[in-house]
Amino acid sequence: MDPDTYINDIIDAIIRLEGDRVTSLAVKAIDGGVPPFVIINQALTAGLRKVGDLFADEQMFLPELVQAGYMVTKTMEKIKPYLSGGEGSKRKALCMVATVEGDVHDIGKNLVNLLLSASGYEVIDLGKSVPTKAIVEQVNLIGPDILGLSALLSTTMPAQQKVIQVLEETGIREKVKIMVGGAPVTRSWADKIGADGFAEDAASAVKEADRILGLG
Amino acid sequence: MKPRIRVLNDEECLKIDQASRSLLMEVGVQAEDEEALDLFHQAGAIVDTKSKMVKIPSHVISRTLAMCSSCVRLYDRKGGSPMLIGGDRVYFGTVGIATNVLDFGTNTYRQVICGDLRDIIRLSDALDPPDFILIPATPTDVPSSIVDLVEFKYLLLNTRKHFIGEAQNRINLKKCIAMAIEVAGSLEEIQKHPFFSVLVCLTSPLLLRSDAIELIVETAKSGLPLFIESGPMSGGTSPATLASTVVLANAELLASFVLAKAVNPAVPLIYASWARILDMRAATVSHGGPEFPLLRMATTQMAKYYGLPSGGGGILADTKSIDVQLGMEKLGTGLLPALADTNMIVGMGLFADENAISLETLIIDHEVCGWINRVRRGIDVNDETTDISVIAKVGPGGDFVSTEHTMKFFRTEMFIPKIMDRGFLSLDKDPEAKCMRTRARRQYREAMDRYTPPVLADSIETRLNQIIEE
Repeated sequence: MDPDTYINDIIDAIIRLEGDRVTSLAVKAIDGGVPPFVIINQALTAGLRKVGDLFADEQMFLPELVQAGYMVTKTMEKIKPYLSGGEGSKRKALCMVATVEGDVHDIGKNLVNLLLSASGYEVIDLGKSVPTKAIVEQVNLIGPDILGLSALLSTTMPAQQKVIQVLEETGIREKVKIMVGGAPVTRSWADKIGADGFAEDAASAVKEADRILGLG
Repeated sequence: MKPRIRVLNDEECLKIDQASRSLLMEVGVQAEDEEALDLFHQAGAIVDTKSKMVKIPSHVISRTLAMCSSCVRLYDRKGGSPMLIGGDRVYFGTVGIATNVLDFGTNTYRQVICGDLRDIIRLSDALDPPDFILIPATPTDVPSSIVDLVEFKYLLLNTRKHFIGEAQNRINLKKCIAMAIEVAGSLEEIQKHPFFSVLVCLTSPLLLRSDAIELIVETAKSGLPLFIESGPMSGGTSPATLASTVVLANAELLASFVLAKAVNPAVPLIYASWARILDMRAATVSHGGPEFPLLRMATTQMAKYYGLPSGGGGILADTKSIDVQLGMEKLGTGLLPALADTNMIVGMGLFADENAISLETLIIDHEVCGWINRVRRGIDVNDETTDISVIAKVGPGGDFVSTEHTMKFFRTEMFIPKIMDRGFLSLDKDPEAKCMRTRARRQYREAMDRYTPPVLADSIETRLNQIIEE
């Protein structure tokens, strides 16, 4: 089979949520000479993006989006041994994600993490209701490319603003790109508090991360 | 258990039955047709040929009811198993009469033309529900003497679902049957698998018009199913009390059943009603108020009291625009009869006091029916649905989004809306951007993109036109 056929079949299997088929096709394609980074970028990531689009278009559902994320993550693990210093072996960038102080909602944040890592990002999850101080310390210590801040409640949204303020006061604001999200969060709120990016849902969070890093 | 509602208890049903029987014996019905008077006489009624009044003794009614089936089988032209009308089954259908359409393109009212009828039937064919199609609009661009025939032709050409056709007299009904034979091959085939029923609307109070008699007699002769409706208006063509309105609707239906069974004991009969109120301020009938579903549940219960298949109006609206009132009226007048197990609820698409139809309201009603059907299914409680192992596996503080259990059940446990707007409030967005009507319009285009209408040979259409012109 030629690379395009493999790519199309893998995308098709992701949309159909046929996890075993995704993995076996990916391994078969690599065995057949298709470069692993092509499989990752053009098949797995593209398939996941397609699922995200179908989700946004209300044709696929939340549990299916999650399942697709798991399937792609599992396949990524499986083809890791084939990567050896080539283009595809590097993670795109490092993302650090947290649900802000006072907010214990993390289903959305976990979904963002899943899709980010399935799309080639390295993700550090700081958890939920993370104190502002702890977030700033971790940014200072680890130095991620992107910091993602989630808030599901309008009452906890100000904590997103607080994190940005403290990062500015600490003098490390410019070292990291900041994305905000969560049900009540809007693009205008993101602009108001000086965030670099905003996403309405998990699938568009990946696109937004690509955009603000100049990868998309 | 399944959620169900009753508005009459057994004693109240009996009281209505007694009053209806008394009414038919003490007052009777007037039948404007010699043949009908003969038939009533043969059935055991007391007939006064001069006044054309027919008094029906209780034993004749009981004998008629004993001839009725608790289940009518309605087929379609897809060849599947029939709809079983009766018991606790509920089917939703469109309904006719409307001569106006709210134009999809211009958002203004205009008169229905044949093209609209075709579009509405095709959309009804594409969506599911409607489970069956009662002629959904009346075109105004054909002579009124053949409008029923044209409607029948459009139904034959544009749907393979079961449909309820109307005819204005015996001659036109015979032509309708002749057209159906062109499609089905023979009368025997239609009798074996009736893919259409005949609509009869009675006149309140207590009048059997000659056209209604012709339809009942002619349809009964052919053995095809009859969908007979009585629609007294409380305060107008029936007394102001809702209970008396049910008595009258019931008496009229029982009288028509006596006539139909006098012609042919085997004729399948569906007991349907549009009993409603006359609005005393607007001087028009109202189908969207609380009385309408109350009356529908009551007439349904009377059908069940006799063990008959039931039907009637529901999912209706008086509003003239696709607005909040539409949603309120449609859900109220659809949900309540559905919870009373009205077997054939007709009303999808219709609004504006029975006077208008639109593609958008049909799509909205499809969503309303889905919502209702989910409520009717209730909460399934069994060992599998109460299994705690999945909760144990996820543990405290976890989530169920990614479990196999959720994947297995979410589609059946949850109603998945097509046009209801859900999702997050975005303060910086247009509040109307995803409103139900906007989404209904998009859904219409999607539904029709996927749809292919039934194909019939050109020669059949030519033949149907010949029958209409004969």
